[in-house]
Amino acid sequence: MKPLLKALALVAVLAVSACGSGGEEAAAPGTPAKLRIGYQLIPNGDLIVKDQRWLEQALPGTEIVWSKFDSGGDVNTAMISGAIDIGLAGSSPVTRGLSAPLNIPYQIPWIFDVIGDNEALVVRKEITEAKALAGKTIATPFSSTSHYSLLAVLAEAGLAESDVKIVDLEPPDIQAAWQRGDIDGAYVWTPILAELEKDGAVLVTSRELAGRGKLTADLAVVRTEFARQYPEALKVWLRQQDRAVKLARTDNAAAAAAIGRQLNLSPAEAGRQLGQLVLLDAAEQRGPDYLGTPEAPGKFAENLHSAAEFLKSQQKVDAVPELSVFQKGLATRELADAFAGS
Amino acid sequence: MRFAFRADPRRGMTAKPAMLRAGAVLVLLAAWQLIAMVRIWPPVFVPEPAAVWRQLVRTSTEGYSGYTLAEHLLVSLRRILLGCLYGVTGGIALGLLIGIVPTVRTLLGPLVTFVRTLPPLAYLSLLVIWFGIEEEPKIWLLLLASLPPVAVATAEAVRGVHEDYLNAARSLGASRWEVPFRVVLPSALPEIITGIRVAVGVAYTTVVAAETVNGVPGIGGMVRDAQRYNQTDVVILGIVVIGLSGLLIDFLLQTLDRRLVPWRGRG
Repeated sequence: MKPLLKALALVAVLAVSACGSGGEEAAAPGTPAKLRIGYQLIPNGDLIVKDQRWLEQALPGTEIVWSKFDSGGDVNTAMISGAIDIGLAGSSPVTRGLSAPLNIPYQIPWIFDVIGDNEALVVRKEITEAKALAGKTIATPFSSTSHYSLLAVLAEAGLAESDVKIVDLEPPDIQAAWQRGDIDGAYVWTPILAELEKDGAVLVTSRELAGRGKLTADLAVVRTEFARQYPEALKVWLRQQDRAVKLARTDNAAAAAAIGRQLNLSPAEAGRQLGQLVLLDAAEQRGPDYLGTPEAPGKFAENLHSAAEFLKSQQKVDAVPELSVFQKGLATRELADAFAGS
Repeated sequence: MRFAFRADPRRGMTAKPAMLRAGAVLVLLAAWQLIAMVRIWPPVFVPEPAAVWRQLVRTSTEGYSGYTLAEHLLVSLRRILLGCLYGVTGGIALGLLIGIVPTVRTLLGPLVTFVRTLPPLAYLSLLVIWFGIEEEPKIWLLLLASLPPVAVATAEAVRGVHEDYLNAARSLGASRWEVPFRVVLPSALPEIITGIRVAVGVAYTTVVAAETVNGVPGIGGMVRDAQRYNQTDVVILGIVVIGLSGLLIDFLLQTLDRRLVPWRGRG
């Protein structure tokens, strides 16, 4: 048994040292030596902040580490292991993160964007209403915000999931299957969405669904421990995000150029994709429809709650948490503090 | 391969190895339970054995992603069976040709090695474009994965058939077509079956890759779906089921081997 104990001791030591590597020594009061950010290639303000190096300038004593992620699920995993401090994930993975069994200790300080025309359900031209989807084959990447939106469309039309053949495909495979005629439609995002639109018809967009209360969004998540330990850094981070949203509104060309550089797109195309998203500035984030204030948490918590109900029906979470869990998940205090003067 | 030392499979497993194996499994389970209990890592990383057991019960009764565990496994096994059936048949035919006809060897030998070294995920997207998203691309992928090992094993075995056997058969009046089927094939059979075992193993590892595209139902699709939702207990369950069913299939192939080639190791 001795070697086994030794091995156990070794893994314990490794685990402890891994946990302790998260920027302990503060460079200045309230700011860490290192800020680890998990970002995704989505044309919103986060990429403007990254491109313009605003965080690096505003936090000179802090080393900013940007790591690219491909999905919210991976961001969740990184958050659980404490490998990143602030990350970007869709509302669906964040709902999972805040529910059992994950119960990730993180909060939402900012909504990067509300998904608008960049995600939509495209179908063959002969399908003109959602009810006609019965018996058809529709593709979507499972566990994504698109998946959630597709099932919301079906529910609105009074169709059960089993009335439609829903297949799990990644966007490039969706394009291949569409061209081959294997699928009758897909709920997917750009740029594959644009390819499908060429010979299909848009039945519904996420912007329309958001208007009817089925809102999907790309969210920022911050480790609760980090927010508690380094409130100053979080304030600075929030102000840079607000600055990016304002830049997108006042100088669209500059914002599009910044995003284009990050995504290897022409400024025109980057500008078009940016325009498909709904960006919210600090004042709007604090409004009753979104994150709200410490006194009155915003309606966004209800949105996450209904997303949890959906995930429960999919057996992807063990139980639907109370609404208060999601209200506490909104970092309204930090948001209010960051923009107290404005 | 032929003369490599090999434990005698005809002797039944005696009591001691059986206990040893059971003991090893128990020690592993205990270590797992211990690591999970001390919570070095959150349960999402190391779920307890009991959690995996609960998932086994849940997926077997309620199902996961709309299908029960047995349905997932059966669909995958069907894919493996079909893919291997085509792959093994094609592999034996190709291997015979490569082994017997020098021109074919020159032409196709490198191609088989080329296909064999390709990772399946590299060409899966091509198969999706060519064959769509239903069963065809998956069967094709498994075929392409299982064919080369059988072809290589068969070709090597055919080339290794003792010259004396061929001469003896010919001098006893065997016709041109009788030699490959009645002399070459039987004497190459032990290696071919080893090739088949390797091929089934390769197909088994490939089925998870094949099921990354529209893989539900399917055990690989189930694992992939669970992984995306950080449901580690379901992932571990899927891996254990894949491993155990793989062991079972290999055991069946070994039994087949003993039935078909009772002379193995005595030639």
